[in-house]
Amino acid sequence: MVTTYLFYFLSFLAIMFGLMVVLSKNPIHSVLYLVLCFFTIAGHYVLLNAQFLAVVHVIVYSGAIMVLFLFVIMLLNLNKETEPHKSIWLKGSAAIAAGSLLLVMVGSLKGATTIQSTNAFNPNIGLIENLGTTLFKDFLLPFEVSSILLLAAMVGAVMLGKKSIK
Amino acid sequence: MKALILLSSLGVISLLAELFSFKKLLYPLVLLGLIATFVFNICDWNATNNVFYKMLQFDNYAIAFSSVIIIIAFLWFLMAEGFFKEETNLTDHYALVLFALVGAVILTSYTNMAMLFLGIEILSIPMYILVGSSKNDLSSNEASFKYLIMGAFATGFLLFGIALIYGATGSFDLTEIKTAISSAGVTPQIFYVGMLLMLVGLSFKVSAVPFHFWAPDVYEGAPTVITAFMATIVKLAAFAAFLRLFDVTFYRVSGSWGLVVWMLAALTMLVGNITAVFQTRVKRMLAYSSVAHAGYMLLALLAANHYSNSAILFYGTAYSIGSIATFTIVSIVAGARGDDGIHSFNGLGKSNPMLAVVMTIALLSLAGIPPTAGFFAKYYIFTSSFIAGNVGLVLIAIIASLIGVYYYFRLIIAMYFKEGNHEAIPLDLNHKLLLIVTAIAILVLGICPDFIIRLL
Repeated sequence: MVTTYLFYFLSFLAIMFGLMVVLSKNPIHSVLYLVLCFFTIAGHYVLLNAQFLAVVHVIVYSGAIMVLFLFVIMLLNLNKETEPHKSIWLKGSAAIAAGSLLLVMVGSLKGATTIQSTNAFNPNIGLIENLGTTLFKDFLLPFEVSSILLLAAMVGAVMLGKKSIK
Repeated sequence: MKALILLSSLGVISLLAELFSFKKLLYPLVLLGLIATFVFNICDWNATNNVFYKMLQFDNYAIAFSSVIIIIAFLWFLMAEGFFKEETNLTDHYALVLFALVGAVILTSYTNMAMLFLGIEILSIPMYILVGSSKNDLSSNEASFKYLIMGAFATGFLLFGIALIYGATGSFDLTEIKTAISSAGVTPQIFYVGMLLMLVGLSFKVSAVPFHFWAPDVYEGAPTVITAFMATIVKLAAFAAFLRLFDVTFYRVSGSWGLVVWMLAALTMLVGNITAVFQTRVKRMLAYSSVAHAGYMLLALLAANHYSNSAILFYGTAYSIGSIATFTIVSIVAGARGDDGIHSFNGLGKSNPMLAVVMTIALLSLAGIPPTAGFFAKYYIFTSSFIAGNVGLVLIAIIASLIGVYYYFRLIIAMYFKEGNHEAIPLDLNHKLLLIVTAIAILVLGICPDFIIRLL
């Protein structure tokens, strides 16, 4: 019972902070609201019994990546309201496109029924041990292949960053 | 699987070349490596094997598509030798191109949504970087930035789609998803939303209208060799992935994506061809023509019958070979005359007969005129679509190809019937070899298309 209330509370907060990210004029405020939004999502992970994911989410997203965001905004000196004004047509068409997506999503979720999980509930499912077993057994190949992705991204970053010798 | 391992290790070896200073040897090494990859890849023919808990499946479909991709990559390396001249970034360029090829091979063979996502990212991230690889060129920087932002946005759609499909069916595995949606129970509505979002993500990757707005700018801004890579290998791999997902896995629910793909195909063919007519720069014109060709391939995707696979394989091969030839010639001519406007091609028939003849053959193939490969490619696509009952769409496709003939011929007319007093352009040995091979390949495929059509 408590978890249901907690779920609705967290969802309300997540949606509110998400809206504030978009609506606030100052980029720094946007980023800070995004941090809060990520914290509420971490709360959802805890409710879903995925403790490890919740911790990693807080450390990586709310911690590292958001600090990086703040640094970039600071370095580019974007803390003023420098965003150029969009034309009314652009705003209108964006609103219509996003609104139709929202309509489709709401419409499809309205008719959704709760799916009962076929597996027996395992309270340890979110612990590192289970995650590790899945990662190194079923998902070994994607785990290995993502190393190529990271290597390519790193090589690219170095290539774009270095000066040409001459 | 062997192809995947070989290509990744080639990429790592090319990074090591900087350290152990065998940079001069790298070019022949990579070409030999690609030949070896092709041979090992072919060896697995008919030996369907699942790799690592059903993550990849190298069935004949995957092997046929990945072999074509490797052949095109070989031709691309012949074309792009000049791209690997700059000392500073030489090894990085090799490594990024080879890693992109790894992504392309994964896209032909995935059987799990996780691998689909990884494949698309491994293919895209090197492309974002390579598009911006001429660092002092402002339009190259702009193209890279645009591609990155739009590509990330499209990946967001794709991931959201995968997440919703996982929510509806409880699996990332393509066969399990297929069983889940064809079993007696009601498929949850969110599955269809997920499918639609994945369609958006993949349409972006193949640059189908209305998700094509990035394509002309990126194709024009990127170095010409990278444009050729994107127009051929990236598009072929994205279509292989598209086909596997929609024609195999989502086949049972084709009623709910059929109309959307119908509209996409019609719009892509018409908008691509009509916009190409108004272009004055050849590279941009070829970019729009590449958008239009995606539309023809969507036609076979929509048909979803037993002709589709071989039709798309053949179309992709014919189109890629034609594109490699045209982009090579555009890069040679634009490099020598400093401009890729149509007027730079004036009088090419007199000054460089060989360039003009190969360009003519390639353009005729892209336009779909016999006896070139492009004619049979269009023939098989239209047949598969006709059998599936999409007669209206075939009519639109025929009208669109007629519009296409106009702008391809404008270039041919410029080469042969317009006066231009330019000097002959000297050609590298590599480029000569490439042009002869592509011209012969286009004619041979046009005369006996059977041996590719019978593969699948």
